[in-house]
Amino acid sequence: MTDTRSALLAAYLERRDDLLRFFTLRLRSAAAAEDLVQDIYIRIAAADRSMEVRNPAGYLYRLGSNLMLDRIRGERRTAARDHDWRATHRTIVGAEEVAEEPRADDAVSARQRLNAIVDVLRELPEQTQRVFRMHKFDGLSHAEVAQALGISRSGVEKHCMAALKRLAERLS
Amino acid sequence: MNGTRDEDRPMGTADAAAHWFARLQDEAATGDDWLAFEQWLAESPAHAAAYETLEGLWVELDGAADAIAAGLNPTPVSLAAHRAARERARPTRRGWLAAGAGLAASLAVGVLTMANWPVEAQSYVTAPGQTRQLTLADGSRVWLNAGSRLEVRLGRGARRVQMAEGEAVFDVTHDPARPFLIDTGDREVRVVGTQFNVRQRGAAFALSVRRGLVEVRPSGAPGATPTRVPAGWRLIHRHGAPAGELSVTSPDDAFAWTRGQLVYAAAPLGEVAADLGRSLGRPVRVADAATGQIRFTGVLALDDKEAVLRRLEAFVPVRAEADGAGVVLRRR
Repeated sequence: MTDTRSALLAAYLERRDDLLRFFTLRLRSAAAAEDLVQDIYIRIAAADRSMEVRNPAGYLYRLGSNLMLDRIRGERRTAARDHDWRATHRTIVGAEEVAEEPRADDAVSARQRLNAIVDVLRELPEQTQRVFRMHKFDGLSHAEVAQALGISRSGVEKHCMAALKRLAERLS
Repeated sequence: MNGTRDEDRPMGTADAAAHWFARLQDEAATGDDWLAFEQWLAESPAHAAAYETLEGLWVELDGAADAIAAGLNPTPVSLAAHRAARERARPTRRGWLAAGAGLAASLAVGVLTMANWPVEAQSYVTAPGQTRQLTLADGSRVWLNAGSRLEVRLGRGARRVQMAEGEAVFDVTHDPARPFLIDTGDREVRVVGTQFNVRQRGAAFALSVRRGLVEVRPSGAPGATPTRVPAGWRLIHRHGAPAGELSVTSPDDAFAWTRGQLVYAAAPLGEVAADLGRSLGRPVRVADAATGQIRFTGVLALDDKEAVLRRLEAFVPVRAEADGAGVVLRRR
């Protein structure tokens, strides 16, 4: 049996064009997609041989989608940092200490947003809350949540879908 | 999975987006599922927009994961035990959660590719007269000047470097989830992804930034308000001083040693002698304090040991004399 890395590399070569087309659609840029698909290659080339991947093609898409999410995270942080920077940069010259407290209204609105998220989730049926929490915040896979709660995988999926839908309806 | 399970009623765009998002979270989703998803995405810009809304929310939840999870129904006890067993089996996961990276939490993928990153400390030392270029496991590059010592720990929540003595150029790869922290004993430097030179010699700390933005705090005081040093600026700080000194600089001067040069603007000769000693691998000292205070402005190319000293003699009123294994600079 070939090891996981070989299986992933074989799937990558076979699916490279599919991945490029998919991420071009997602990123709306052929150049950005090319970078991302190259990044997928780098990650799998460095993959641990001992890891287990039952479904190489799905893994490649998921890996690329995760890299996209990481980039969204990075952009959010950069935006926050740039905001802080603009708010404070005039006080920097010649001074060692720079006042850099987050502005009070920012802190309040972040708090309100957090409360709104928790409120939306708490309105969900108990089992939906539990499934969503286990998957999203405790880091369990769908299969693991299904096993732990004695429900089907499609049941896990339905609970997650319900939670996502409610969050999108109420918060975006 | 064919996406038609709920076909007894037509799915709205928001429903369909949530369906796809949840569906593709499952490790069992196949290549065909992703192709079907692609088809759905391509059908309408509204589809893509609805899906992106969910991605944005998903990422937003990571930012306050602990606070949100604390507000929800607790995980059953039996499950906590299950999870603990699982984390023992896969130690990378906790680190990722602690780091708030959320990657493992969201998809349980990709974590595994990071499993090889070392956490134990790696030491790098250069002797006088020796420089060294390193590429760390995270892709960051470090160029160590002579007479430097670094200890590097690439943890999952942070990348940490101890530099009690030395000088180095850092070209740090961007990784918002793992800040790059350099502790020089008295000052701590925090970066996300940028290029800069740090110098820690005795009681003197200097930082010059070529690209990006770097934060400096007193060491051991993570809550202290940082000094932010943008590209093109230099921060000098003496141990124990209440404040440092920020000034506009030409960052290339601080990086000059990487090109085999030393660049000075009105620098005391004592400092030049110490640099020369480290770079030449042979002690260079000034004969007395007054000589050490002579100011030197210029560029010294470190091509040939003897030639460097002759050039210095041409710029400043000193003579370089052999003195045992080293060199002494005497006013003439």
